[in-house]
Amino acid sequence: MEKYDVIVIGGGPGGYVAAIKAAQLGSKVAVIEKENLGGVCLNWGCIPTKTLLTTTKLYKDIIGSKEFGIEGIDTFDLKVNWSQLLKRKDGVVDRLVSGIGMLFKKNKIDTIHGMARVINKNEVEVEDKIYRTEKLIIATGARDLYPEIPGLNEMEKSGNIIYSKTALELEDIPEELVIIGGNIYAVEFASIFNALGSNVVFVQEESQILENMESEMAKTLERQLRKDGVKFVSNAKLKSISEEGLVVEHKEKEKIFKADKYLISWKIQPNIKGLESLNLNKDSKGFIITDENMETSIKGVYGVGDINGKYPLAHVASSEGIVAAENISGKDSKMDYHLIPLIIYTNPELASVGMTVEEAKEKGHDATVSKFPLSANGKALSEGDTVGFIKIVSDNKYGEIIGVHIMSNHSSDIISSAVAVMKLEGTVYDIAKTIIPHPTTSEIFMEAAFGAIDKPIHM
Amino acid sequence: MRFEFKFPDVGEGIHEGTIVKWLVDIGDNIKEGDSLVEVETDKVTTEIPSPRTGKVLELKGDAGDIIHVGNVFVVIEIEGEDSEKSSDSQGISDSIDEEDKKKELDEKEEVVEEETAGVVGEVVASSEEIPPSTEGIESPKEDIQTKKVLATPVARAMAKDLGIDINTVEGTGPNGRVMKEDIRRAKEEHLKPKVKEGLENRERPKTKALVLEGSPESEDLYERIPLTRIRKTIAEKMSESRFTIPHTTAMDEIDISKLDKFRKTYKEILKEEDIHLTYLPFIIKAVIRGLKQLPEFNSSLDELNEELVLKHFYNIGIATDTERGLMVPVIRNADKKSIVELAKEISDISTRAKNNEIDLEELRGGTFTITNYGSIGGYFGIPIINHPEAAILGLGRVVEKPIVKDGEIIIGKVLPVSLSYDHRTIDGASGARFINILKDLLMNPDMLFLKS
Repeated sequence: MEKYDVIVIGGGPGGYVAAIKAAQLGSKVAVIEKENLGGVCLNWGCIPTKTLLTTTKLYKDIIGSKEFGIEGIDTFDLKVNWSQLLKRKDGVVDRLVSGIGMLFKKNKIDTIHGMARVINKNEVEVEDKIYRTEKLIIATGARDLYPEIPGLNEMEKSGNIIYSKTALELEDIPEELVIIGGNIYAVEFASIFNALGSNVVFVQEESQILENMESEMAKTLERQLRKDGVKFVSNAKLKSISEEGLVVEHKEKEKIFKADKYLISWKIQPNIKGLESLNLNKDSKGFIITDENMETSIKGVYGVGDINGKYPLAHVASSEGIVAAENISGKDSKMDYHLIPLIIYTNPELASVGMTVEEAKEKGHDATVSKFPLSANGKALSEGDTVGFIKIVSDNKYGEIIGVHIMSNHSSDIISSAVAVMKLEGTVYDIAKTIIPHPTTSEIFMEAAFGAIDKPIHM
Repeated sequence: MRFEFKFPDVGEGIHEGTIVKWLVDIGDNIKEGDSLVEVETDKVTTEIPSPRTGKVLELKGDAGDIIHVGNVFVVIEIEGEDSEKSSDSQGISDSIDEEDKKKELDEKEEVVEEETAGVVGEVVASSEEIPPSTEGIESPKEDIQTKKVLATPVARAMAKDLGIDINTVEGTGPNGRVMKEDIRRAKEEHLKPKVKEGLENRERPKTKALVLEGSPESEDLYERIPLTRIRKTIAEKMSESRFTIPHTTAMDEIDISKLDKFRKTYKEILKEEDIHLTYLPFIIKAVIRGLKQLPEFNSSLDELNEELVLKHFYNIGIATDTERGLMVPVIRNADKKSIVELAKEISDISTRAKNNEIDLEELRGGTFTITNYGSIGGYFGIPIINHPEAAILGLGRVVEKPIVKDGEIIIGKVLPVSLSYDHRTIDGASGARFINILKDLLMNPDMLFLKS
């Protein structure tokens, strides 16, 4: 029987990072993966959608290139070659996945292919073979959860119901696409397929997209998407679905939306198959409960990533994986859920960390919000990006920055400096006095900091 | 070369000391072993000798300041060593040949030993707990010379506002960075009446600040005196014992007329040898007999592991009244010492305790304590056990009393004893038995010599 110090079930960004860290700290590690290393993020999530977004951005840029002084492109016949796009996506994914394989080899981590069935906390069975381990890290992730809509099961057989994974395996770009949205990925898909030329109808039970994000940013994005041609049906009640279309109750009227494909990106549910015998403590939605050391209700069994239902984000999963690996290796390591950046990859991108001014006031902060528009930034203007802004939320006592919300291209990169400053409990005074290179979009951070103290320079 | 002398770890859980007074001035040339400073720790007041010969460059802190273990408190310019070589982790130049290197290394070892002995001679004896003398030169990451504490901007501003010295705050952020939460915590701790760490986990009534009637306090009516470190230690130890151990006390009178006669016979003779023979050595002998017969009196209760730890050695603590407060020096292996040896050792340690010359090591490792409050006055008492020991014997004043013997009243010498013991591990019957053993032996000193 093979014996390991640590067995990780699931090779996604939670599991594979935990495995590498544990191996670096001296453990003998194996990772059990039923599909591809890299998990949803690398294979069907973060990375593939970003390759799609790159193409859609390029496509949009080429369409508008005349204004930027480029001639000779026949934009009439311009279209996205979907299969070539998917081929490029596969290339990017393969490269990253094989990269993990290399890292595993380098760290002497064994990969066991197959579906894991946990016998007890020290024994795991994969395809009739039993592996022994001292410690177990569960990183099995989550999968899409569909809302209950009458007729959905029958419709699924038709192949016209798609979700994040199958959306990237379509043969063609659907002409008509209905998105049943509930989470941030639905918004990203709306942005992508709209840009690819689909007529997108976005159906949601909520009153607006991204309810948990800074509201002006969410509203601005929704407005931008509307302008780009996405049709929003908000506050909708999902009544039924059939070949005839999706029936919703909207503004007290029944409406029917017929499409080629129906993309569901609603909520997620934990992958707990194979873990039954452990009988771990779970929350009401079935996610495994973990403590600050990422340990589950069973000593020596850890749960990282989507499986614990805390934040369904790859960067949180990786961070949790490192905490679990460190604890296993005898370090006392605690997961800090304070200051988790959240990005919505649309065009422009939304990036957030910390509190909104409403949340800050609710928590008793004497808080100020300082906004600076992208339209006053030279670099953004030169790149033709004018939709967007930054908002800094600061506590008036010391000027500590407690929230940063950016809507702009590159905001996913700019936000990192905000996270670092907030991690170090920096203040608007520190940022105002930081020399930020010109011209960059990052200058909006400094401008807004001046705004929080007194007034921005360039406004 | 600059040598940074850090306040040595003197063991016994001592983390800090208060500077009583500097014994040198900046610019003084000092020799290795010269006393630099008088420091009061939780347990003792002591002089810290210099580990090096050189010139005093800096004295960090004034009388009354607290210095922490590991903090640089004296900087000494050491002659003959180039300051640039301070980066050399061993403080040894590469240019010197092997012979010299070896010699220097040897010397260094000697220095370490001497330093150990020096510091220890005054403070503590366990050499393994003292960092080597080269510590000021090595490990640049611990260099406190770069004064700047890692702290966040908000933490700095908050510390300034709240009047907290950020240098004294322990940071919990990455790489020990002081975060705003740390300042908040420091402030709370600052406001809270100090309860010594380590004891804080124990459940016991929360200490409250004393509120005096008729505030604002009138200076004429009240006077607030800050507790000395020794007083704080005594207070903590007493509370710890009282709140942990359910005490019970057995009392009795012992007719020591025969012992008194015996003592008087030899007292004068021994006086010529400068030996002061009191009752105490005899009582120690009797106690040891009791401890051997009833080992639970020479034990400690390990609450966590639910075990009784019996000790096969007999170290008797002698509670001693000093100007600065109660001290309990320990007579080691008292069972292996003669009456005369015990008498000598008692007068030695009590004199040294009174003169504040006691080593920290001499205050450690007791297994049973005797408190002789009777030397000052009083008859019975309820002594508090010296935690984690199991029992303590209190001795009252020896008086002449009428004693009924064989139907006749005679005048006898009576010693009142009060034995407090840990009632969790010792039953009342055992308490009575212990007293009986003492009684038998002290009433008939012949038996004491036969049995000891």
